[in-house]
Amino acid sequence: MYIPYVDIVPQLIANSVIAGAIYALIALGFNLIYGTTKFFNLAHGAVAACGAYAVFAILKTFALPVNIVVACAIGAFVAGIIGYGLERLIYRPLRRRKASNMVLMVASLGAFTALQAFIAILFTSQFQALESSGGISGAIEIYGAIITHTQVVIITCGIAIMAILAFIAKYTLFGKAVSAIKDDEEVARMVGIDTDRIIGKVFFIGSAIAGVAGILIGFDTGIEPTMGMNLLLKGTIASIIGGVGSLYGGFLGAFVLGFAENFGIWKISGEWKDAIAFVVLIVFLLVRPEGIIKK
Amino acid sequence: MNTTAKAIVWVVVLGVVAWAGYAMLGTPAEAPVAETVATSTAPVAVEPLKIGFIAPLSGDGASYGEMKRNVVMLAVEEINAAGGVNGRPLEVIYEDGKCSGKDATGAAQKLVNVDKVHFILGGFCSGESLAAIPVAEAGQAMMLSTGSSSPDLTSKSRFFVRDYPSDATQGEVLAKAAAAKGWKKVAMIQEQLDYPLGIFKAFSASFEALGGTVVKEEFPTSATDFRSMLTKLKAAKPDALFLNAQTPASGERVIKQLVDLKWKPKMLVNEAFVGDRATVEKYKDILEGALAAEFAVDPANTKFIALDQAYKAKFGVDMPFKSYGQTVYDGVYLAKEGLMAVGDDGVKLADWFRTVKDWQGASGTITIKPDGDRESGYSGEVVKDGKVEMMSMAPAATSTPQ
Repeated sequence: MYIPYVDIVPQLIANSVIAGAIYALIALGFNLIYGTTKFFNLAHGAVAACGAYAVFAILKTFALPVNIVVACAIGAFVAGIIGYGLERLIYRPLRRRKASNMVLMVASLGAFTALQAFIAILFTSQFQALESSGGISGAIEIYGAIITHTQVVIITCGIAIMAILAFIAKYTLFGKAVSAIKDDEEVARMVGIDTDRIIGKVFFIGSAIAGVAGILIGFDTGIEPTMGMNLLLKGTIASIIGGVGSLYGGFLGAFVLGFAENFGIWKISGEWKDAIAFVVLIVFLLVRPEGIIKK
Repeated sequence: MNTTAKAIVWVVVLGVVAWAGYAMLGTPAEAPVAETVATSTAPVAVEPLKIGFIAPLSGDGASYGEMKRNVVMLAVEEINAAGGVNGRPLEVIYEDGKCSGKDATGAAQKLVNVDKVHFILGGFCSGESLAAIPVAEAGQAMMLSTGSSSPDLTSKSRFFVRDYPSDATQGEVLAKAAAAKGWKKVAMIQEQLDYPLGIFKAFSASFEALGGTVVKEEFPTSATDFRSMLTKLKAAKPDALFLNAQTPASGERVIKQLVDLKWKPKMLVNEAFVGDRATVEKYKDILEGALAAEFAVDPANTKFIALDQAYKAKFGVDMPFKSYGQTVYDGVYLAKEGLMAVGDDGVKLADWFRTVKDWQGASGTITIKPDGDRESGYSGEVVKDGKVEMMSMAPAATSTPQ
């Protein structure tokens, strides 16, 4: 029996899931930070690139004899520290001065540009491949769709990180403190929560997740200093259509976006892919501005 | 703002204004002075025949321009030693186009209005040629470019001809090579920029004329995820995949995902990609047997060998940019033949150049088409074990492969 589209649909589904998982990794960290601090941290994309370049430096520039998993952990840690540093050096002093969220966003744009330039100076603006030597390689096949092992790791990480964040939010004191700050920072401080410390931790965790995303994308498609902007755009679109600031929303939005993009270009030309993403965004902003999941 | 700050701002503003004024007014004084080279000791009674020259002699493109000037000097010396043009020695007036449209326009103005030349060897950069053409047209002077390859120059003007092939012609060479392989359907993944677009237009026009079809997906330079485009192209079941990117870097991104998707199509790649031999070597498995096209030098061509040796003997260094040097040399000799045939007349020269057919030069066989472009000149190549080799059935003009 001939099944129509059997040669294309499984792979398109796989591509959608892969893209969705990548967007989810960015959106999860972004939403965590946004949900707590209520400002668009544009530096998030550059932090992801920092994580990828940290791994690149470990494996390629210095060729340190470390396990690839260890290298990735260090990369994520570096990204987390950079995120935390931005909070301590830039955002916190600005918040102290009662700067508006617009000011914080502009400051984060500055941080984004500076980080990107810094990477370009250190590592050149060339496109580089972040390949594992003897680590993860190979691919699996499901109904004719090819998914590389790197992509399997991306999807697994996306789901795992979401699950861990959901667990933390629900069952730990830290999670409860974060949700208190989400509701009202002033009140949280009044009831004795050290909001600065919690926000600092949130920045560390969110940025480390971004670092993981950057590293995995680096293994999947390669790295360049400007990779952050594209990631940030897609991550933000995902979190807006899913419900900005919401944990599950960002995750869901990412997969909606992944499927919309990859199935959208099935019948029309691939150059419209980015346009589809923004059309979806505009439709959501018009029809359901609060996103799929209402807060 | 306090007074000191204001004073500083005013000083800066005045400084900028003064500098801008100086730059604008000062330019004519330091405009490049034409460097005329008396190239022969011909009898005084014989008036030398002046021709113009535009190429970057300063700035980033100077290394090209110097090579071009050296080759021109070499060729003109040879021609004058052999009796010049109907007994008149050639005299070249060298002007600096600085690889910029503005400077090339100024240079062309001087050549046409002051020196009253009717033939200009230039520009070198596409931007020089594009900008200088209107000036040459107004002065009824003919331009021969030996280096500009932009497809925008095709059919640009009655007064413009080039003996360096248009980037678009590599599309033709690849189409013929693909058809010769028996391929009927080629899938192309193309970056959304002028250079790859020019190649696509030429490729699809020729390939469709030969009975083939082209399916295409385009991607913006910022794209990093090509999976679904490649999935679509694969599902179209093409005989081959044409990777048509602007730079080796974006090409590499596509190839990497091609490998990930475990699709091993037969491949075609463009000159920009195959020019980066390191990347070709890196992906030699998937590129095995891939077709490419480059405007290469033919080391077996006797005229080219003679030029290469003469250059080294005269200037003491190995000739740089050989693929450009060969067309400069041929350009001077073509000019000599044209001037002998129809005299120093821009209109007649422009018409004469379009009659050039199967002319044997250092850069191979030259035929100028009615649109002013050189016919082919690109050689078909094939990737074998990470190395780029000449294709034996190359539709290109060069003689036997090495």
